[in-house]
Amino acid sequence: MKQNHNNNHVREKEQFKKLFKQEHIDNFEERFKVFEIFLQTKRHVTVSELLELLNENGYQLDSSFVRDTLKLMCRFGFAKKIQFEDGPVRYEHRHLGRHHDHMICTKCRNIIEFEDQQLENLQIQIAAARGFHMLQHKMEIYGICSNCLKTRMHPMSLVMAKQGERLIIKDFTGGAGARMRLLTMGLRVGDELDGITSPSKGQMVIAVDCRRYVIGRGLAQKVLVEPRKN
Amino acid sequence: MSQKSLTIALAGNPNSGKTTIFNNITGTRQKVGNWPGVTVEKKEGIVSKYGYELKIIDLPGTYSLTPFSIEEIVARDFVLDECPDVVIDIIDASNLERSLYLATQLREIDCKVLFALNMADVARTRGIKIDADKLSELLDLPIVFTIGNKSEGIDELLKKAIELAESDVDTSGKRKVKYNKDIENSISKLRSFIEKNSEISLPYKTRWTIIKLLENDKIVRERVLQKVGDQGRNVIQEVQIHRELLADRFNDDPEIVMTDERYGFIAGILKEVFTTITKQRIDISRNIDLVLTNRFIGFPVFIFFIWAMFQLTFSLGVYPMEWLDTGVNWFSVSLDGLLPDSLLKDLLINGVIAGVGSVIVFLPNILILFFCIALFEDTGYMSRAAFLMDRIMHLIGLHGKSFIPMLMGFGCSVPAIMATRTLESEKDRILTILITPFMSCSAKLPIYIVLTGIFFSAKAGNVIFCIYFAGIIIAILAGRLFRSTLLRGADAPFVMELPPYRVPMVKSLIIHMWDRSKMFLKKMGGVILIGSVVIWTLSAFPRNIQYSRDYIAEINSVRASYNTEIIAANGLDSQHIEKKLDAAIAELEMARKSEMMEKSYMGRIGKILAPVFAPLGIDWRGGVALLTGFVAKEIVVSTMGILYLAEGEGSNTLKNALLSSDMTPLSALAMMVFVLLYLPCIATVATIKQETGSFKWTLFSVTYSTLLAWVAAFCVYQGGKILGL
Repeated sequence: MKQNHNNNHVREKEQFKKLFKQEHIDNFEERFKVFEIFLQTKRHVTVSELLELLNENGYQLDSSFVRDTLKLMCRFGFAKKIQFEDGPVRYEHRHLGRHHDHMICTKCRNIIEFEDQQLENLQIQIAAARGFHMLQHKMEIYGICSNCLKTRMHPMSLVMAKQGERLIIKDFTGGAGARMRLLTMGLRVGDELDGITSPSKGQMVIAVDCRRYVIGRGLAQKVLVEPRKN
Repeated sequence: MSQKSLTIALAGNPNSGKTTIFNNITGTRQKVGNWPGVTVEKKEGIVSKYGYELKIIDLPGTYSLTPFSIEEIVARDFVLDECPDVVIDIIDASNLERSLYLATQLREIDCKVLFALNMADVARTRGIKIDADKLSELLDLPIVFTIGNKSEGIDELLKKAIELAESDVDTSGKRKVKYNKDIENSISKLRSFIEKNSEISLPYKTRWTIIKLLENDKIVRERVLQKVGDQGRNVIQEVQIHRELLADRFNDDPEIVMTDERYGFIAGILKEVFTTITKQRIDISRNIDLVLTNRFIGFPVFIFFIWAMFQLTFSLGVYPMEWLDTGVNWFSVSLDGLLPDSLLKDLLINGVIAGVGSVIVFLPNILILFFCIALFEDTGYMSRAAFLMDRIMHLIGLHGKSFIPMLMGFGCSVPAIMATRTLESEKDRILTILITPFMSCSAKLPIYIVLTGIFFSAKAGNVIFCIYFAGIIIAILAGRLFRSTLLRGADAPFVMELPPYRVPMVKSLIIHMWDRSKMFLKKMGGVILIGSVVIWTLSAFPRNIQYSRDYIAEINSVRASYNTEIIAANGLDSQHIEKKLDAAIAELEMARKSEMMEKSYMGRIGKILAPVFAPLGIDWRGGVALLTGFVAKEIVVSTMGILYLAEGEGSNTLKNALLSSDMTPLSALAMMVFVLLYLPCIATVATIKQETGSFKWTLFSVTYSTLLAWVAAFCVYQGGKILGL
């Protein structure tokens, strides 16, 4: 059973690597450390508890960075946020059911379970063909669910905005400093913005109300937007 | 009777019109621009009104009291540390929500605040209606409507400010942002922790300090540690516990939560006082930006504007320059006829007029250049230029914003280096300061015009444009080198507001030009005049020189021999022979003056410098001229005027004098390259010292630029010789 558990962890780490790299998420090494320590925890942890654990393991990280990473992990389905009445926010490891295969929507975090006998058989055949003795398997397909695709409700980063596109700010990621800068300059969640110029490289120009801003690419990556409906 | 004096600070968002109102109140003419960061240093003006002496302080614009760059720190520190009697918060009525964000923060410091609802006319045309009475009632503070550029409402603003300063209202009881239960809980717990311990005396008001500490404000934290000492560390520790608590509670950093709450508070106010009539709003600036910042058209248009700026400067400047030149010549000739020969006459004509006169003719060019830069600034195009240059600036790891100081550097390096204060990253600032002097300032322009005008007459405009362009290229190369060696650093997050396009105010443009002319004329009357006199003195003394040849005897003998020839020719050919005689005498006279010059004090200094400049094709006169350029770059032309003019008899223009010297087009080019790159003038060096705060960087800047200048000029001259130019 213990080995089984470890196996799961190894696989999850692989998935983590693949997904985070695929999405070009910054500071990968540090985020991976956070993930590793998080996997070792058995209970619901708060950010400060996790920070302490990281400290014990000799990793000096910033709390706002750890929080950001946990949020990303939620987005990709590795962790789940829970909050008991007025208490602090805690995160738990997402234990996925053993007996089903899963399709996980990275946008709405919805998990679709499915079972397909053909696929199960095929897996056994593949393993057998390579002389591999299969003990356990876990199948997870990450992607965007039909609902999200249909309504195009998934937040995308501002970098993808095209000229003339009408968008609405949904969320910010990244450190507190950068977010404070945007907030005090009057860019907030719920603001409606229009793309004015978006070159394939470098800064972009957006307009919010009667104000116009130039935003660096790095910062734009941290602004999550959605198309606006009229 | 001595007047009672009051200090009134003007605060507000960038581009909300603080400086315009400041100018209206004080009657001074501070520079106004249409880009964030025109005012980087607080400015003071004193007026006497209504029986008070009012000290008005114009602060750099800030979005909040959470500073990110130096100019914002300047503004916050003033409000906090100097405790002005009244703070007038200038609110851009068309951007009410964001303006109120700063207002709520000002209220938190417990200072006496007064609102000036500025640009109400702009707001009205956008269909925005603001119920000022209600706003005044809700926030419990006086409000005055103003229109800065038409100076409406200024008197009432001052009256209300004095009234407020003299009233003894208790500001601490006024309505402030009330945060949610958990945050207020933490604030009151921290407050009792601090009040329990009598040893702790905070540098600022308690509630505000706690809020800032909870927001993780590094500057406030350091000040608390400084002021309170060991106990301060306990306070910080206690705050840290609450920060973690709140962070876990809200799943976000407390500063973000608190910012959201402030906006919530503002939203509540807006609901009651703010109405928009028309939903359909046309934003002209947005439409212009669709073209001017367009990914394909934007950049070519920008290059065209820059090209047009230089073309105007040269081609339009030529005419008034010629008039001035004629005037100076006429003055010199008539003075020559009026005064008897004396040392004083020599000083006036060959020292003062040759020195100052050779530079003053460039006033029109410089004015046109500054007019163009002022147009960029006042219309709001400056920030767009910064955006368009971003791709190129990224080659050296800088944001496009760094291009604003560089563009200003075409005018003068001193304000350009000051303008780097708007950059948030310290490394970016230093890097920008190091490369900004490569932008040819207006004082270098006369040198280029003189040299190209003489040696490249037909292609002068293009050669100068190339020199400017070379400056930009070298700045980028040098920047790239420093970025990868001395000043490594990652990109900082970047966001900058693009101000609305505005039709420039004629008054503001005239102020720009007038300021510039005043500064230029002051320079002429001051440092250039003194410099010219010093240079003349050094070149005219010692008077009694041991000549290597007896010129007077030689001239006499030449004259005698020609005279016999004239007599022999018997009047037939006499005119022709007389001409020959004059030429022979002039030649001897020139040799004499040349020797005199070489043996003067100046000549001796020049001789020491000569070996340094010889490989660049620059003779000792040029070397001396470049040396004097450290005082001010215009002096290079003055010195050349004095040194070269003194020699060429009969040629009263610098042009003829230079043409008859050893200088070739190639060595002129080498000299211009040297001027482009070598050490900046003394005022710039002082500014670099002030802004970097480091002796090391200043010394580095001076040394590397001069070395680079020598190497580049060497390559141009020797390379050109090899190519047979």
